[in-house]
Amino acid sequence: MVDPGNPRQRARPAWLQQYELVGKIGEGTYGLVYLARRQQPLHRGVRIAIKKFKQSKEGDGVSPTAIREIMLLRECIHDNIVKLVNVHINYVDMSLYLAFDYAEHDLYEIIRHHREKLSSPINQYTVKSLLWQILNGLNYLHSNWIIHRDLKPSNILVMGDGEEQGVVKIGDFGLARVHQAPLKPLCDNGVVVTIWYRAPELLLGAKHYTSAVDMWAVGCIFAELLTLKPLFQGIEDKNGQNPFQLDQLDKIFKTLGHPTADRWPTLLNLPFWQANRNLIQGRKYENPGLYSIVQQPAKSPAFDLLSKMLEYDPAKRISAAQALDHQYFRTEPLPGRNALVPGSPGEKVVHYPARPVDYSTDFDGSTAPPQSNTNLAPQQQQRGEHMMQVPAMHQPLHLPAIQRMPQNNMNNFSSVNQQGRRKEPDSGNQNYNNYQPLNKSRRM
Amino acid sequence: MAANFWASSHCKKLLDSDEVGHVLPADQERGLTAEDVKLIKIYLSSYIKNLAGHLKVRQRVVATAIAYFRRIYTRKSFTEFDPRLVAPTCLYLASKAEESTVAAKLLVFYMKKIPPEDKGFRYEIKDVLEMEMRLLEALDYYLVIYHPYRPLIQLLQDAGLSDIIVTVWSIVNDSYRTDLILMHPPFMIALACIYIGSVIKDKETRTWFEELRVDMNVIKNIAMEILDFYENYRNIPEERLNAAMAKLPQSYVNAVGD
Repeated sequence: MVDPGNPRQRARPAWLQQYELVGKIGEGTYGLVYLARRQQPLHRGVRIAIKKFKQSKEGDGVSPTAIREIMLLRECIHDNIVKLVNVHINYVDMSLYLAFDYAEHDLYEIIRHHREKLSSPINQYTVKSLLWQILNGLNYLHSNWIIHRDLKPSNILVMGDGEEQGVVKIGDFGLARVHQAPLKPLCDNGVVVTIWYRAPELLLGAKHYTSAVDMWAVGCIFAELLTLKPLFQGIEDKNGQNPFQLDQLDKIFKTLGHPTADRWPTLLNLPFWQANRNLIQGRKYENPGLYSIVQQPAKSPAFDLLSKMLEYDPAKRISAAQALDHQYFRTEPLPGRNALVPGSPGEKVVHYPARPVDYSTDFDGSTAPPQSNTNLAPQQQQRGEHMMQVPAMHQPLHLPAIQRMPQNNMNNFSSVNQQGRRKEPDSGNQNYNNYQPLNKSRRM
Repeated sequence: MAANFWASSHCKKLLDSDEVGHVLPADQERGLTAEDVKLIKIYLSSYIKNLAGHLKVRQRVVATAIAYFRRIYTRKSFTEFDPRLVAPTCLYLASKAEESTVAAKLLVFYMKKIPPEDKGFRYEIKDVLEMEMRLLEALDYYLVIYHPYRPLIQLLQDAGLSDIIVTVWSIVNDSYRTDLILMHPPFMIALACIYIGSVIKDKETRTWFEELRVDMNVIKNIAMEILDFYENYRNIPEERLNAAMAKLPQSYVNAVGD
């Protein structure tokens, strides 16, 4: 298996030689994500996403994020959950590699492509099929007492060409937890869920929360599929631990109206609701207008389902199982397994673009030149001899759970922020205008 | 799956009695007998519990750690993996899996304070961290373990025996001094513990057990195993234990490579 003429391969552990590295496709606080192809005869050429976890800096071994992901995904077998194919260890640098079935696309890229390149909405069949499959995967997780806790468009993967084309895979289980019998209150894990998709009970400091937080996030994603814009694009306050996110709540209340103890009885017990009485309770929010934002008739099944997902009271919020049963999924067009085929015959197939791959980074990360974090156009690729020749029209890469590589050409998406009432003290913050908050709230 | 035992890897990987308690060839060569292996496992299961007491982690973490420990030694020999390092590392890994993470530094601090490490076997943080990875690999990355505690509470309520929960709970704790958790569904272990507890506390449970329609032979076998522990292994004479421990290698090769 070892090619003695290639010093790089010689230095690699045997298991790594099962894979042919294509390049780096993502980066997170815990490490890097690579695209590779399998070398074994039966699977030759099959693409795999490999997430590398570094040792935690605190000298505490395998990161709890990696443990959660391994533990839960090793048990999860479902069409709409990303498949963990293998785990490998490199004892030389004590790093851990998780190999996943590779998914070409994700909702972040699909939505962005429609918004920035096509300037046209996603067809209704695709929206419905994507949503149905997200709910189907989530129902499986919830019925097994797993809360994902970090649902957002970039964690909803969609398979590219092949037998599973257009199938949704929920990815990134680094924050997921079993909540049937937690040994510690769930809030001990610190802040969860990227702020735009964070449920109001979390924003108001709930100590105990349920799978309903995932359903709120699905509601936000549903609206984003319809409008191509994040529904509640609040500005994150990053001061201190779990700061009160006034702006995010403000955005939500402006759209949905003020929550009342009438509709949400446990509201009065939430710490931030009490503590920030004058800040949030004092404001008046008129004209709740969710239907006008999502441009759906108030009586349509789509709007009805959406408003049930965005119910303030988590106890009343629709569950994944109930949502799957909703009228929306029984009206034409019916949802299908391949979400990416055209909605009706004759409609044009949308070709989603390739995700950028950094071809200059090796598995150990050590050979990456300093500029390697930026998006390399194909003609700039520096390919090592060990690297796979990638077809000119290579597909987007994707990988569960990673933060995306910074992209030079990423257009800012700022219009929503102009409605912000407050002056943003941190206006130099580069995240301010970005479509996606780069800084995940990820605490262990 | 995480909350459905029947769909879990734990369930699919339950072992037969001939797959646990056997002596691996490398251990046979060192003269370790099945009895030695049993004593070492009991001793280090107690050690995990003891260490956990200092670290103030809950019983479920202890139970998961012991289950890992016992599962590892159905596959790995005591000659290859030093149980004095494997046991605390199992606790370390279980604390992460059960969302009650303890710091490696604190773990090692207590390891040095209590036997057996106080007698010369000195492991440092780096040894624990390296062993953590080897354990993940040896466990084939299956980390979800089900325990009898949850079914126990439900079953006792159903039987109207909630008043004997303290007794039965400690019998369940003691069941981890055996390999039962590797061999039987947790609710069967819970039932066997209820069976023992009801005999001790003189409670009538025959009708209740009959209505459950479970295989009473299996329940009785599990109960026998636990009673055997109480009768013969509750207090292991020090010299018997020392004799068994003396057969372990005096030093372990750092067999780590890739």
